[in-house]
Amino acid sequence: MAEVIRNRILLGRAAFVVAVTTIVFAQLLPLNTLPRNWTGPDLLVAVTLVWVGRRPDHVPVGVVAGLFFLTDLLFQRPPGLMTALIVILTEVLRSRAHGLRGMPVAVEWATVGFGLVAVAVAYRLVLTIAVVPQAPVGLAVLQTFLTILCYPLLAGLAYILFGVSRPAPGETDVMGRRL
Amino acid sequence: MAKDRSIGDDYVRPIRRLLVGLIVILSLAVFLVWRIDSPRVERMRAAVIDAMVPRMDWAMAPVTGLMNLIADFQSYQALYAQNQDLRRELQQMRGWREAALQLEQENAKLLDLNNVAVDPNLTWITGVVMTDSGSPFRQSVLLNVGARDGIQDGWPAMDGMGLVGRIAGVGDGTARVILLTDASSRIPVVIQPSGQRAILAGDNSVYPALDFLENPDVVRPGDRVVTSGDGDVFPSDLLAGQVALGTDGRLRLRLSADFERLEFLRVLRNPGTRQIADPDTLILPIAPASPQANVDILTVPEVTPGEIAELEPDGDG
Repeated sequence: MAEVIRNRILLGRAAFVVAVTTIVFAQLLPLNTLPRNWTGPDLLVAVTLVWVGRRPDHVPVGVVAGLFFLTDLLFQRPPGLMTALIVILTEVLRSRAHGLRGMPVAVEWATVGFGLVAVAVAYRLVLTIAVVPQAPVGLAVLQTFLTILCYPLLAGLAYILFGVSRPAPGETDVMGRRL
Repeated sequence: MAKDRSIGDDYVRPIRRLLVGLIVILSLAVFLVWRIDSPRVERMRAAVIDAMVPRMDWAMAPVTGLMNLIADFQSYQALYAQNQDLRRELQQMRGWREAALQLEQENAKLLDLNNVAVDPNLTWITGVVMTDSGSPFRQSVLLNVGARDGIQDGWPAMDGMGLVGRIAGVGDGTARVILLTDASSRIPVVIQPSGQRAILAGDNSVYPALDFLENPDVVRPGDRVVTSGDGDVFPSDLLAGQVALGTDGRLRLRLSADFERLEFLRVLRNPGTRQIADPDTLILPIAPASPQANVDILTVPEVTPGEIAELEPDGDG
């Protein structure tokens, strides 16, 4: 039994890594070399939050940290800052995931939305204090807004493609603890 | 809630919390170090990208090709109209070609009379664009040539028609080009007929702005803009684009290079480029103590003194 569950968790982790790698890959494709005055949602953050909010056991903190540090480097962001903020956000969400399980989806969505806004504000604040040149405010606001908007959409997609759902009552993890 | 969990938590949780705290502190430390000593961390970034991206190339090339194919296919719909346009354009070009040939002959005669040699230093290395910056807030592309091919920080990159950007970040097999449209790009330029000097300042829009113009009245939309060579940033007289009046009333630049599809870029070897090796050094005008220094840079770049000589030794020479 424990073996089956361990395998399921490994599979869940693999699913997360596959989803995330696809997104990074798609964002790096040199299709758009013109500056845009619009932007899409930050899919990477949204997908991570979907997983952490629903199946925290499938997203170890090390994976989150590694992933965001790597994309910090790849996407020309100031290295480390986004990593730290996202790790804090996922940890907060992780500690609440258990309580959120019984709540309506709207509450989960609002929690995530609040967290995203907090991270965006903190990010800009730190960059301002450190006097780092920043992206236009309009773009950043638009991106945060779109990321929040697409959260339920991605949650649905993650459910359809990878079967990521909130744990059913009575499910247990490797150690035999109830999820 | 906590009672639902078993006692195993009592041992795991503090260690976990310690681990998370460690990760956060470590990340913030990297950020701080980056802010203080940017060149070193940027070199690390270049090394990581250098190790990662070429490995993804096998998958990236076909997907990019496919997407471009779809875009091309859409353009077939306008094929007839395009054909007509091209014919008309060709007609005009024939006229221009005659004029150009005559001018070329005249130019050759004049150069011969004056005994002028074209600058032999400006050779180039061609690279293929591998990825873009992956973020809407940054405008840069990654080329598949790097230190192995002798690329150095600060060299200009052009496509067939005009200036595209500047090398910033060189890995062993990759190099990043910060495009002119990036918000951190600043290039000294001169506006052709009037001779006005300006700074071409990217601001994340398609048309970068012309800043620090002394007298905007003598500049007209349509004027040619070329690099000025000031401050040894770029060699002079590289075509950047034409002046245009932005919707916000500022003078902006319509870029000559085709930014919609950057595929092959030329990186010009620019022996005069000066490097910053340490975070606390500045690029200053060459000391007046040696009046020969300026001449030295122009003619024999290998023997320039001090910080300039700190170019990476593993060049192509």
